[in-house]
Amino acid sequence: MNDTSAAKTGLETDTEAAVKQNQSAEGTVGEIYVDDPRMTCRNVDVYYGEKQAIFDVSLDVGKNQVISMIGPSGCGKSTFLRCLNRMNDTIDICRVTGQIKMDGQDIYDGGLDVVPLRASVGMVFQKPNPFPKSIYDNIAYGPRIHGLSDDKQHLDSIVETSLQKAGLWAEVKDRLDQPGTGLSGGQQQRLCIARAIAVSPEVILMDEPCSALDPIATAKIEELIDELRENFTIAIVTHSMQQAARVSQRTAYFHLGKLIEVGETDQIFTSPRHKLTEDYITGRFG
Amino acid sequence: MNEMTSGHIVKAYSAELDHLNKLVLDMGNLGQDQLRRAVQTLKDEDPKAAGKVIDRDRKLNDIDIQADEEIIRLIAKRQPMAKDLRDILTVQKTISDLERVGDEARKIANLTIHFYDNGKNPPSKEILHDIYDMSEFVDEMLGLSLVAFTELDLDKALEVIEMDKKLYEDFRGSLRRLSTFIMEDSRNVGSVVDIVLALRALERIGGHAKNIGGFVIFLVTGKDVRHEDIQAISAEIEASRMSQ
Repeated sequence: MNDTSAAKTGLETDTEAAVKQNQSAEGTVGEIYVDDPRMTCRNVDVYYGEKQAIFDVSLDVGKNQVISMIGPSGCGKSTFLRCLNRMNDTIDICRVTGQIKMDGQDIYDGGLDVVPLRASVGMVFQKPNPFPKSIYDNIAYGPRIHGLSDDKQHLDSIVETSLQKAGLWAEVKDRLDQPGTGLSGGQQQRLCIARAIAVSPEVILMDEPCSALDPIATAKIEELIDELRENFTIAIVTHSMQQAARVSQRTAYFHLGKLIEVGETDQIFTSPRHKLTEDYITGRFG
Repeated sequence: MNEMTSGHIVKAYSAELDHLNKLVLDMGNLGQDQLRRAVQTLKDEDPKAAGKVIDRDRKLNDIDIQADEEIIRLIAKRQPMAKDLRDILTVQKTISDLERVGDEARKIANLTIHFYDNGKNPPSKEILHDIYDMSEFVDEMLGLSLVAFTELDLDKALEVIEMDKKLYEDFRGSLRRLSTFIMEDSRNVGSVVDIVLALRALERIGGHAKNIGGFVIFLVTGKDVRHEDIQAISAEIEASRMSQ
Protein backbone atom coordinates (compact mmCIF):
# COMPACT_ATOMS: atom_id res chain seq x y z
CA MET A 1 0.00 0.00 0.00
CA ASN A 2 1.46 3.34 -0.98
CA ASP A 3 1.49 6.36 1.16
CA THR A 4 0.12 8.95 -1.21
CA SER A 5 1.17 12.53 -0.81
CA ALA A 6 -1.14 15.51 -0.80
CA ALA A 7 0.32 16.63 -4.11
CA LYS A 8 -0.37 13.31 -5.71
CA THR A 9 -3.96 13.24 -4.61
CA GLY A 10 -4.35 16.80 -5.88
CA LEU A 11 -5.71 17.95 -2.54
CA GLU A 12 -7.35 21.36 -2.55
CA THR A 13 -7.01 24.05 0.06
CA ASP A 14 -9.55 24.13 2.86
CA THR A 15 -11.17 27.28 1.45
CA GLU A 16 -11.61 25.82 -1.99
CA ALA A 17 -13.00 22.68 -0.52
CA ALA A 18 -15.41 24.61 1.69
CA VAL A 19 -16.70 26.58 -1.27
CA LYS A 20 -17.22 23.41 -3.22
CA GLN A 21 -18.91 21.70 -0.32
CA ASN A 22 -21.71 24.24 -0.42
CA GLN A 23 -22.32 23.77 -4.11
CA SER A 24 -24.92 21.31 -5.16
CA ALA A 25 -23.78 18.62 -7.52
CA GLU A 26 -24.73 19.94 -10.88
CA GLY A 27 -26.21 17.42 -13.19
CA THR A 28 -27.13 14.84 -10.57
CA VAL A 29 -30.84 14.22 -10.25
CA GLY A 30 -32.12 13.39 -6.76
CA GLU A 31 -31.02 13.95 -3.19
CA ILE A 32 -27.27 13.52 -2.82
CA TYR A 33 -27.43 14.44 0.88
CA VAL A 34 -28.63 12.35 3.80
CA ASP A 35 -29.50 13.45 7.34
CA ASP A 36 -26.97 11.22 9.05
CA PRO A 37 -23.95 10.72 6.77
CA ARG A 38 -21.07 8.36 7.56
CA MET A 39 -19.13 9.51 4.51
CA THR A 40 -19.49 12.69 2.50
CA CYS A 41 -18.03 13.03 -0.99
CA ARG A 42 -17.93 16.43 -2.65
CA ASN A 43 -16.96 17.27 -6.23
CA VAL A 44 -14.86 14.17 -6.65
CA ASP A 45 -12.91 13.89 -9.91
CA VAL A 46 -10.73 10.91 -10.69
CA TYR A 47 -8.11 10.77 -13.44
CA TYR A 48 -6.17 7.82 -14.79
CA GLY A 49 -3.24 9.75 -16.24
CA GLU A 50 -4.79 12.21 -18.69
CA LYS A 51 -8.09 10.39 -18.90
CA GLN A 52 -10.80 11.54 -16.54
CA ALA A 53 -12.80 8.62 -15.16
CA ILE A 54 -15.06 10.38 -12.62
CA PHE A 55 -16.60 13.80 -13.15
CA ASP A 56 -17.60 15.97 -10.21
CA VAL A 57 -19.39 13.38 -8.11
CA SER A 58 -20.96 14.51 -4.83
CA LEU A 59 -22.69 11.94 -2.68
CA ASP A 60 -23.40 11.14 0.97
CA VAL A 61 -23.23 7.61 2.31
CA GLY A 62 -25.67 7.32 5.22
CA LYS A 63 -24.95 5.55 8.51
CA ASN A 64 -26.25 2.00 8.83
CA GLN A 65 -27.51 2.12 5.30
CA VAL A 66 -26.75 0.09 2.22
CA ILE A 67 -26.13 2.21 -0.84
CA SER A 68 -25.82 0.45 -4.17
CA MET A 69 -24.00 1.79 -7.17
CA ILE A 70 -25.20 0.64 -10.55
CA GLY A 71 -24.44 1.49 -14.14
CA PRO A 72 -23.03 0.03 -17.34
CA SER A 73 -19.48 -1.32 -17.52
CA GLY A 74 -16.90 1.45 -17.46
CA CYS A 75 -19.29 3.97 -15.89
CA GLY A 76 -16.93 4.58 -12.98
CA LYS A 77 -18.91 2.97 -10.19
CA SER A 78 -16.06 0.70 -9.07
CA THR A 79 -13.55 3.54 -9.42
CA PHE A 80 -15.74 5.69 -7.21
CA LEU A 81 -16.12 2.88 -4.67
CA ARG A 82 -12.37 2.47 -4.52
CA CYS A 83 -11.99 6.17 -3.72
CA LEU A 84 -13.83 5.59 -0.46
CA ASN A 85 -10.89 3.75 1.11
CA ARG A 86 -8.16 5.17 -1.11
CA MET A 87 -7.74 1.87 -2.87
CA ASN A 88 -7.02 3.87 -6.02
CA ASP A 89 -3.75 5.01 -4.37
CA THR A 90 -2.36 1.63 -5.35
CA ILE A 91 -2.61 2.66 -9.01
CA ASP A 92 0.31 4.99 -9.80
CA ILE A 93 -1.35 7.02 -12.54
CA CYS A 94 -4.57 7.51 -10.60
CA ARG A 95 -5.28 10.98 -9.23
CA VAL A 96 -8.24 11.92 -7.05
CA THR A 97 -9.41 15.50 -6.44
CA GLY A 98 -12.32 16.87 -4.47
CA GLN A 99 -13.14 15.95 -0.93
CA ILE A 100 -14.09 12.72 0.77
CA LYS A 101 -14.71 12.76 4.50
CA MET A 102 -15.52 10.04 6.94
CA ASP A 103 -17.20 11.23 10.14
CA GLY A 104 -15.94 14.71 9.32
CA GLN A 105 -12.31 13.64 8.80
CA ASP A 106 -10.84 14.20 5.33
CA ILE A 107 -9.58 10.79 4.25
CA TYR A 108 -7.32 12.34 1.60
CA ASP A 109 -5.58 14.44 4.24
CA GLY A 110 -1.87 14.20 3.53
CA GLY A 111 -1.08 13.20 7.11
CA LEU A 112 -3.61 10.43 7.25
CA ASP A 113 -2.32 6.86 7.49
CA VAL A 114 -4.16 4.69 4.98
CA VAL A 115 -3.63 1.48 6.96
CA PRO A 116 -6.11 2.30 9.74
CA LEU A 117 -8.36 3.92 7.10
CA ARG A 118 -8.58 0.63 5.26
CA ALA A 119 -9.37 -1.12 8.51
CA SER A 120 -12.27 1.21 9.19
CA VAL A 121 -13.35 1.12 5.53
CA GLY A 122 -13.05 -2.56 4.68
CA MET A 123 -13.44 -4.07 1.25
CA VAL A 124 -14.81 -7.26 -0.24
CA PHE A 125 -13.99 -8.06 -3.86
CA GLN A 126 -15.69 -9.74 -6.77
CA LYS A 127 -13.68 -12.91 -6.55
CA PRO A 128 -13.31 -14.36 -3.07
CA ASN A 129 -9.63 -13.93 -2.16
CA PRO A 130 -8.93 -15.74 1.11
CA PHE A 131 -5.28 -15.81 2.21
CA PRO A 132 -3.60 -19.18 1.65
CA LYS A 133 -3.83 -19.79 5.38
CA SER A 134 -6.17 -21.54 7.78
CA ILE A 135 -9.71 -20.29 8.25
CA TYR A 136 -8.70 -19.11 11.72
CA ASP A 137 -5.67 -17.19 10.48
CA ASN A 138 -7.64 -15.56 7.69
CA ILE A 139 -9.76 -13.86 10.33
CA ALA A 140 -7.04 -13.38 12.95
CA TYR A 141 -4.61 -11.74 10.51
CA GLY A 142 -6.23 -8.28 10.56
CA PRO A 143 -6.71 -7.99 14.33
CA ARG A 144 -3.05 -9.12 14.80
CA ILE A 145 -1.49 -6.58 12.43
CA HIS A 146 -3.73 -3.78 13.69
CA GLY A 147 -2.87 -4.71 17.29
CA LEU A 148 -6.51 -5.19 18.20
CA SER A 149 -5.85 -8.24 20.31
CA ASP A 150 -3.15 -9.10 22.88
CA ASP A 151 -4.03 -12.59 23.94
CA LYS A 152 -5.13 -15.82 22.35
CA GLN A 153 -8.43 -15.89 24.21
CA HIS A 154 -9.46 -12.47 22.93
CA LEU A 155 -8.37 -13.36 19.41
CA ASP A 156 -10.42 -16.56 19.60
CA SER A 157 -13.45 -14.55 20.54
CA ILE A 158 -12.89 -12.07 17.67
CA VAL A 159 -12.60 -14.98 15.22
CA GLU A 160 -15.76 -16.58 16.55
CA THR A 161 -17.79 -13.36 16.60
CA SER A 162 -16.67 -12.36 13.11
CA LEU A 163 -17.51 -15.76 11.67
CA GLN A 164 -20.86 -15.69 13.42
CA LYS A 165 -21.66 -12.23 12.07
CA ALA A 166 -20.73 -13.46 8.61
CA GLY A 167 -23.05 -16.44 9.05
CA LEU A 168 -20.21 -18.92 8.62
CA TRP A 169 -19.47 -20.09 12.17
CA ALA A 170 -21.80 -23.12 12.19
CA GLU A 171 -20.28 -24.39 8.93
CA VAL A 172 -16.60 -24.04 9.85
CA LYS A 173 -16.30 -24.14 13.65
CA ASP A 174 -14.97 -27.71 13.61
CA ARG A 175 -12.33 -27.07 10.95
CA LEU A 176 -10.85 -23.69 11.78
CA ASP A 177 -7.36 -25.06 11.20
CA GLN A 178 -8.10 -26.07 7.63
CA PRO A 179 -7.18 -23.82 4.68
CA GLY A 180 -9.66 -21.06 3.78
CA THR A 181 -9.10 -21.85 0.12
CA GLY A 182 -10.72 -25.27 0.66
CA LEU A 183 -14.13 -23.71 1.27
CA SER A 184 -16.81 -23.36 -1.42
CA GLY A 185 -17.00 -20.06 -3.34
CA GLY A 186 -19.90 -18.75 -1.27
CA GLN A 187 -18.20 -19.77 1.96
CA GLN A 188 -14.95 -18.13 0.83
CA GLN A 189 -16.82 -14.89 0.14
CA ARG A 190 -18.40 -15.00 3.60
CA LEU A 191 -14.93 -15.72 4.99
CA CYS A 192 -13.70 -12.54 3.28
CA ILE A 193 -16.62 -10.62 4.79
CA ALA A 194 -15.77 -12.08 8.22
CA ARG A 195 -12.15 -11.02 7.65
CA ALA A 196 -13.30 -7.46 6.92
CA ILE A 197 -15.55 -7.45 9.98
CA ALA A 198 -12.77 -8.74 12.29
CA VAL A 199 -11.03 -5.35 12.36
CA SER A 200 -14.24 -3.56 13.46
CA PRO A 201 -14.77 -1.41 10.39
CA GLU A 202 -17.39 1.29 10.16
CA VAL A 203 -17.91 0.98 6.43
CA ILE A 204 -17.72 -2.10 4.23
CA LEU A 205 -17.24 -1.64 0.49
CA MET A 206 -18.34 -4.51 -1.72
CA ASP A 207 -17.34 -4.66 -5.36
CA GLU A 208 -19.70 -7.09 -7.08
CA PRO A 209 -19.47 -9.52 -4.17
CA CYS A 210 -21.86 -12.08 -5.66
CA SER A 211 -20.96 -12.10 -9.33
CA ALA A 212 -18.85 -15.26 -8.94
CA LEU A 213 -21.45 -17.05 -6.79
CA ASP A 214 -24.42 -19.31 -7.47
CA PRO A 215 -27.96 -18.12 -6.57
CA ILE A 216 -28.03 -19.89 -3.19
CA ALA A 217 -24.67 -18.48 -2.09
CA THR A 218 -25.83 -15.08 -3.45
CA ALA A 219 -29.00 -15.25 -1.35
CA LYS A 220 -26.91 -15.99 1.74
CA ILE A 221 -24.68 -12.97 1.09
CA GLU A 222 -27.70 -10.75 0.49
CA GLU A 223 -29.27 -11.93 3.74
CA LEU A 224 -25.96 -11.24 5.44
CA ILE A 225 -25.76 -7.72 3.97
CA ASP A 226 -29.17 -6.99 5.43
CA GLU A 227 -28.05 -8.19 8.87
CA LEU A 228 -24.73 -6.31 8.71
CA ARG A 229 -26.54 -3.05 8.07
CA GLU A 230 -27.46 -2.95 11.74
CA ASN A 231 -23.80 -2.40 12.68
CA PHE A 232 -22.09 -1.22 9.52
CA THR A 233 -22.48 1.15 6.63
CA ILE A 234 -22.29 -0.67 3.33
CA ALA A 235 -21.59 0.55 -0.20
CA ILE A 236 -22.03 -2.10 -2.86
CA VAL A 237 -21.30 -2.08 -6.57
CA THR A 238 -23.42 -4.57 -8.43
CA HIS A 239 -24.30 -5.50 -11.98
CA SER A 240 -27.51 -7.12 -10.83
CA MET A 241 -30.25 -4.54 -10.64
CA GLN A 242 -32.46 -7.00 -8.83
CA GLN A 243 -29.72 -7.33 -6.23
CA ALA A 244 -29.47 -3.55 -5.85
CA ALA A 245 -33.25 -3.39 -5.49
CA ARG A 246 -33.22 -6.14 -2.87
CA VAL A 247 -30.34 -5.14 -0.62
CA SER A 248 -30.03 -1.36 -0.66
CA GLN A 249 -31.92 1.57 0.76
CA ARG A 250 -30.39 4.08 -1.64
CA THR A 251 -29.24 3.60 -5.20
CA ALA A 252 -26.84 5.68 -7.25
CA TYR A 253 -26.78 5.41 -11.03
CA PHE A 254 -23.49 6.18 -12.79
CA HIS A 255 -23.04 6.78 -16.51
CA LEU A 256 -19.79 7.68 -18.29
CA GLY A 257 -18.16 8.75 -15.03
CA LYS A 258 -21.00 10.96 -13.90
CA LEU A 259 -23.45 10.40 -11.10
CA ILE A 260 -26.68 10.73 -13.04
CA GLU A 261 -29.25 10.03 -10.38
CA VAL A 262 -29.39 9.02 -6.74
CA GLY A 263 -32.42 8.34 -4.60
CA GLU A 264 -34.34 5.93 -2.44
CA THR A 265 -34.02 2.49 -3.99
CA ASP A 266 -37.81 2.08 -4.13
CA GLN A 267 -38.11 5.26 -6.13
CA ILE A 268 -35.22 4.50 -8.49
CA PHE A 269 -36.64 1.13 -9.48
CA THR A 270 -40.28 2.18 -9.80
CA SER A 271 -40.13 5.81 -10.98
CA PRO A 272 -36.61 6.91 -11.91
CA ARG A 273 -36.51 10.57 -12.80
CA HIS A 274 -33.67 10.61 -15.33
CA LYS A 275 -34.15 9.04 -18.73
CA LEU A 276 -30.69 7.43 -18.68
CA THR A 277 -31.51 5.71 -15.39
CA GLU A 278 -34.80 4.50 -16.78
CA ASP A 279 -33.26 3.25 -20.02
CA TYR A 280 -30.59 1.36 -18.11
CA ILE A 281 -32.79 -0.33 -15.54
CA THR A 282 -35.44 -1.28 -18.06
CA GLY A 283 -32.83 -2.80 -20.39
CA ARG A 284 -33.12 -0.24 -23.14
CA PHE A 285 -29.48 0.34 -23.97
CA GLY A 286 -26.17 -1.44 -23.61
CA MET B 1 -45.39 -0.07 -30.37
CA ASN B 2 -45.55 3.08 -28.27
CA GLU B 3 -42.87 4.84 -26.25
CA MET B 4 -43.93 2.87 -23.18
CA THR B 5 -43.26 -0.55 -24.67
CA SER B 6 -40.55 -0.09 -27.30
CA GLY B 7 -36.78 0.18 -27.23
CA HIS B 8 -35.65 -2.85 -25.23
CA ILE B 9 -32.37 -4.50 -26.16
CA VAL B 10 -34.28 -7.78 -25.97
CA LYS B 11 -36.85 -7.16 -28.69
CA ALA B 12 -39.10 -9.99 -27.55
CA TYR B 13 -39.60 -8.09 -24.29
CA SER B 14 -40.97 -5.07 -26.16
CA ALA B 15 -43.18 -7.36 -28.22
CA GLU B 16 -44.58 -8.99 -25.08
CA LEU B 17 -45.37 -5.64 -23.47
CA ASP B 18 -46.87 -4.47 -26.71
CA HIS B 19 -49.12 -7.47 -26.87
CA LEU B 20 -50.35 -6.82 -23.33
CA ASN B 21 -51.21 -3.25 -24.27
CA LYS B 22 -53.04 -4.54 -27.32
CA LEU B 23 -55.11 -6.83 -25.09
CA VAL B 24 -56.21 -3.77 -23.10
CA LEU B 25 -57.41 -2.09 -26.26
CA ASP B 26 -59.14 -5.23 -27.53
CA MET B 27 -60.86 -5.54 -24.21
CA GLY B 28 -61.72 -1.84 -24.03
CA ASN B 29 -63.28 -1.89 -27.49
CA LEU B 30 -65.18 -5.03 -26.68
CA GLY B 31 -66.38 -3.61 -23.35
CA GLN B 32 -67.52 -0.41 -25.02
CA ASP B 33 -69.31 -2.41 -27.70
CA GLN B 34 -71.02 -4.53 -25.04
CA LEU B 35 -72.25 -1.39 -23.30
CA ARG B 36 -73.68 0.01 -26.55
CA ARG B 37 -75.27 -3.26 -27.54
CA ALA B 38 -76.79 -3.84 -24.10
CA VAL B 39 -78.42 -0.42 -24.11
CA GLN B 40 -79.56 -0.96 -27.69
CA THR B 41 -81.38 -4.17 -26.66
CA LEU B 42 -83.35 -2.09 -24.17
CA LYS B 43 -84.25 0.44 -26.86
CA ASP B 44 -85.18 -2.34 -29.29
CA GLU B 45 -87.00 -4.32 -26.61
CA ASP B 46 -85.06 -7.31 -27.94
CA PRO B 47 -84.44 -10.04 -25.35
CA LYS B 48 -82.85 -12.32 -27.96
CA ALA B 49 -80.12 -9.78 -28.73
CA ALA B 50 -79.70 -9.28 -24.98
CA GLY B 51 -78.99 -13.00 -24.67
CA LYS B 52 -76.20 -12.59 -27.25
CA VAL B 53 -74.69 -9.71 -25.29
CA ILE B 54 -74.67 -11.92 -22.20
CA ASP B 55 -72.99 -14.78 -24.10
CA ARG B 56 -70.41 -12.41 -25.52
CA ASP B 57 -69.26 -11.40 -22.04
CA ARG B 58 -67.30 -14.66 -21.97
CA LYS B 59 -64.89 -13.16 -24.48
CA LEU B 60 -64.00 -10.45 -21.99
CA ASN B 61 -63.48 -13.05 -19.30
CA ASP B 62 -61.21 -15.02 -21.62
CA ILE B 63 -59.04 -11.98 -22.39
CA ASP B 64 -58.90 -11.21 -18.65
CA ILE B 65 -57.48 -14.66 -17.96
CA GLN B 66 -55.14 -14.54 -20.96
CA ALA B 67 -53.74 -11.17 -19.84
CA ASP B 68 -53.17 -12.45 -16.30
CA GLU B 69 -51.29 -15.47 -17.62
CA GLU B 70 -49.10 -13.30 -19.84
CA ILE B 71 -48.42 -10.89 -16.97
CA ILE B 72 -47.34 -13.69 -14.63
CA ARG B 73 -45.02 -15.14 -17.29
CA LEU B 74 -43.59 -11.73 -18.08
CA ILE B 75 -42.86 -10.87 -14.45
CA ALA B 76 -41.19 -14.25 -13.89
CA LYS B 77 -39.16 -14.02 -17.07
CA ARG B 78 -38.21 -10.35 -17.36
CA GLN B 79 -38.33 -8.88 -13.83
CA PRO B 80 -39.74 -5.60 -15.13
CA MET B 81 -38.52 -2.35 -13.61
CA ALA B 82 -39.56 1.31 -13.64
CA LYS B 83 -41.94 2.21 -16.45
CA ASP B 84 -42.16 -1.41 -17.60
CA LEU B 85 -43.24 -2.37 -14.10
CA ARG B 86 -45.77 0.46 -14.00
CA ASP B 87 -46.98 -0.50 -17.46
CA ILE B 88 -47.63 -4.08 -16.40
CA LEU B 89 -49.40 -3.06 -13.18
CA THR B 90 -51.50 -0.57 -15.13
CA VAL B 91 -52.42 -3.19 -17.71
CA GLN B 92 -53.43 -5.63 -15.00
CA LYS B 93 -55.60 -3.14 -13.16
CA THR B 94 -57.11 -1.74 -16.36
CA ILE B 95 -57.96 -5.21 -17.61
CA SER B 96 -59.63 -5.98 -14.32
CA ASP B 97 -61.72 -2.80 -14.53
CA LEU B 98 -62.66 -3.53 -18.14
CA GLU B 99 -63.76 -7.02 -17.20
CA ARG B 100 -66.14 -5.40 -14.71
CA VAL B 101 -67.39 -3.02 -17.39
CA GLY B 102 -68.48 -6.19 -19.19
CA ASP B 103 -70.22 -7.44 -16.04
CA GLU B 104 -72.16 -4.18 -15.74
CA ALA B 105 -73.16 -4.28 -19.43
CA ARG B 106 -74.41 -7.80 -18.83
CA LYS B 107 -76.62 -6.51 -16.00
CA ILE B 108 -78.28 -4.08 -18.43
CA ALA B 109 -78.79 -6.88 -20.97
CA ASN B 110 -80.37 -8.94 -18.19
CA LEU B 111 -82.76 -6.08 -17.56
CA THR B 112 -83.91 -6.24 -21.20
CA ILE B 113 -84.69 -9.92 -20.72
CA HIS B 114 -86.45 -9.16 -17.43
CA PHE B 115 -88.58 -6.43 -19.03
CA TYR B 116 -89.36 -7.87 -22.45
CA ASP B 117 -88.98 -11.65 -22.45
CA ASN B 118 -92.55 -12.86 -23.09
CA GLY B 119 -93.61 -9.23 -22.61
CA LYS B 120 -94.02 -9.80 -18.91
CA ASN B 121 -92.80 -6.58 -17.24
CA PRO B 122 -92.50 -3.70 -19.76
CA PRO B 123 -91.88 -0.40 -17.96
CA SER B 124 -93.20 2.94 -19.16
CA LYS B 125 -90.89 4.48 -21.77
CA GLU B 126 -90.71 7.68 -19.80
CA ILE B 127 -88.70 6.15 -16.97
CA LEU B 128 -86.21 4.47 -19.31
CA HIS B 129 -85.05 7.79 -20.63
CA ASP B 130 -82.38 8.39 -17.98
CA ILE B 131 -80.63 5.15 -18.95
CA TYR B 132 -80.12 6.34 -22.52
CA ASP B 133 -78.77 9.73 -21.50
CA MET B 134 -76.43 8.30 -18.95
CA SER B 135 -75.22 5.52 -21.22
CA GLU B 136 -74.09 8.04 -23.82
CA PHE B 137 -72.15 9.99 -21.23
CA VAL B 138 -70.55 6.84 -19.82
CA ASP B 139 -69.72 5.63 -23.34
CA GLU B 140 -67.86 8.89 -23.90
CA MET B 141 -65.97 8.51 -20.61
CA LEU B 142 -64.94 4.96 -21.44
CA GLY B 143 -63.80 5.96 -24.93
CA LEU B 144 -61.82 8.87 -23.57
CA SER B 145 -60.13 6.69 -20.94
CA LEU B 146 -59.01 4.27 -23.67
CA VAL B 147 -57.62 7.12 -25.77
CA ALA B 148 -55.81 8.44 -22.67
CA PHE B 149 -54.33 4.95 -22.18
CA THR B 150 -53.26 4.59 -25.83
CA GLU B 151 -51.82 8.06 -26.18
CA LEU B 152 -50.51 8.32 -22.59
CA ASP B 153 -52.43 11.59 -22.50
CA LEU B 154 -52.56 13.13 -19.02
CA ASP B 155 -55.08 15.82 -20.02
CA LYS B 156 -57.56 13.27 -21.27
CA ALA B 157 -57.00 11.13 -18.17
CA LEU B 158 -57.73 14.15 -16.01
CA GLU B 159 -60.83 14.95 -18.09
CA VAL B 160 -62.26 11.46 -17.47
CA ILE B 161 -61.69 11.87 -13.74
CA GLU B 162 -63.47 15.21 -13.85
CA MET B 163 -66.37 13.76 -15.84
CA ASP B 164 -66.98 11.24 -13.07
CA LYS B 165 -68.09 14.09 -10.82
CA LYS B 166 -70.79 15.13 -13.28
CA LEU B 167 -71.80 11.50 -13.70
CA TYR B 168 -72.38 11.17 -9.99
CA GLU B 169 -74.46 14.36 -9.92
CA ASP B 170 -76.53 13.10 -12.86
CA PHE B 171 -77.01 9.82 -11.04
CA ARG B 172 -78.30 11.61 -7.93
CA GLY B 173 -80.56 13.77 -10.15
CA SER B 174 -82.02 10.66 -11.79
CA LEU B 175 -82.72 9.09 -8.43
CA ARG B 176 -84.68 12.17 -7.41
CA ARG B 177 -86.59 12.22 -10.65
CA LEU B 178 -87.39 8.50 -10.52
CA SER B 179 -88.63 8.76 -6.93
CA THR B 180 -91.40 11.07 -8.18
CA PHE B 181 -92.71 8.22 -10.37
CA ILE B 182 -93.06 6.10 -7.25
CA MET B 183 -94.82 8.88 -5.42
CA GLU B 184 -97.25 9.31 -8.32
CA ASP B 185 -98.08 5.66 -8.62
CA SER B 186 -96.77 3.00 -6.30
CA ARG B 187 -97.21 0.36 -9.03
CA ASN B 188 -94.05 1.86 -10.57
CA VAL B 189 -91.91 0.69 -7.63
CA GLY B 190 -90.77 -2.54 -9.30
CA SER B 191 -89.74 -0.89 -12.58
CA VAL B 192 -88.08 2.06 -10.88
CA VAL B 193 -85.97 -0.23 -8.71
CA ASP B 194 -84.87 -2.12 -11.84
CA ILE B 195 -84.03 1.12 -13.63
CA VAL B 196 -82.07 2.37 -10.62
CA LEU B 197 -80.03 -0.83 -10.70
CA ALA B 198 -79.31 -0.23 -14.39
CA LEU B 199 -78.32 3.37 -13.70
CA ARG B 200 -76.10 2.11 -10.92
CA ALA B 201 -74.47 -0.28 -13.41
CA LEU B 202 -73.82 2.64 -15.77
CA GLU B 203 -72.48 4.75 -12.94
CA ARG B 204 -70.08 1.91 -12.10
CA ILE B 205 -68.89 1.77 -15.73
CA GLY B 206 -68.13 5.48 -15.43
CA GLY B 207 -66.26 4.68 -12.20
CA HIS B 208 -64.17 2.08 -14.03
CA ALA B 209 -63.36 4.64 -16.76
CA LYS B 210 -62.32 7.05 -14.01
CA ASN B 211 -60.08 4.36 -12.51
CA ILE B 212 -58.43 3.84 -15.90
CA GLY B 213 -57.77 7.60 -16.06
CA GLY B 214 -56.04 7.32 -12.67
CA PHE B 215 -53.96 4.35 -13.85
CA VAL B 216 -52.79 6.35 -16.88
CA ILE B 217 -51.59 9.11 -14.57
CA PHE B 218 -49.73 6.50 -12.49
CA LEU B 219 -48.27 4.97 -15.64
CA VAL B 220 -46.93 8.27 -16.93
CA THR B 221 -45.94 10.06 -13.72
CA GLY B 222 -45.42 7.24 -11.21
CA LYS B 223 -47.84 8.94 -8.80
CA ASP B 224 -50.78 7.06 -7.36
CA VAL B 225 -53.70 9.50 -7.46
CA ARG B 226 -56.57 7.12 -6.81
CA HIS B 227 -57.76 8.63 -3.58
CA GLU B 228 -56.87 12.25 -4.20
CA ASP B 229 -59.17 15.09 -5.15
CA ILE B 230 -59.06 16.66 -8.57
CA GLN B 231 -57.01 19.70 -7.50
CA ALA B 232 -54.34 17.48 -5.96
CA ILE B 233 -54.26 15.35 -9.12
CA SER B 234 -53.88 18.44 -11.34
CA ALA B 235 -51.04 19.60 -9.10
CA GLU B 236 -49.31 16.20 -9.38
CA ILE B 237 -49.57 16.33 -13.16
CA GLU B 238 -48.20 19.87 -13.23
CA ALA B 239 -45.30 18.89 -10.96
CA SER B 240 -44.42 15.92 -13.13
CA ARG B 241 -44.43 18.14 -16.23
CA MET B 242 -42.12 20.62 -14.53
CA SER B 243 -39.61 17.91 -13.64
CA GLN B 244 -39.44 16.61 -17.22
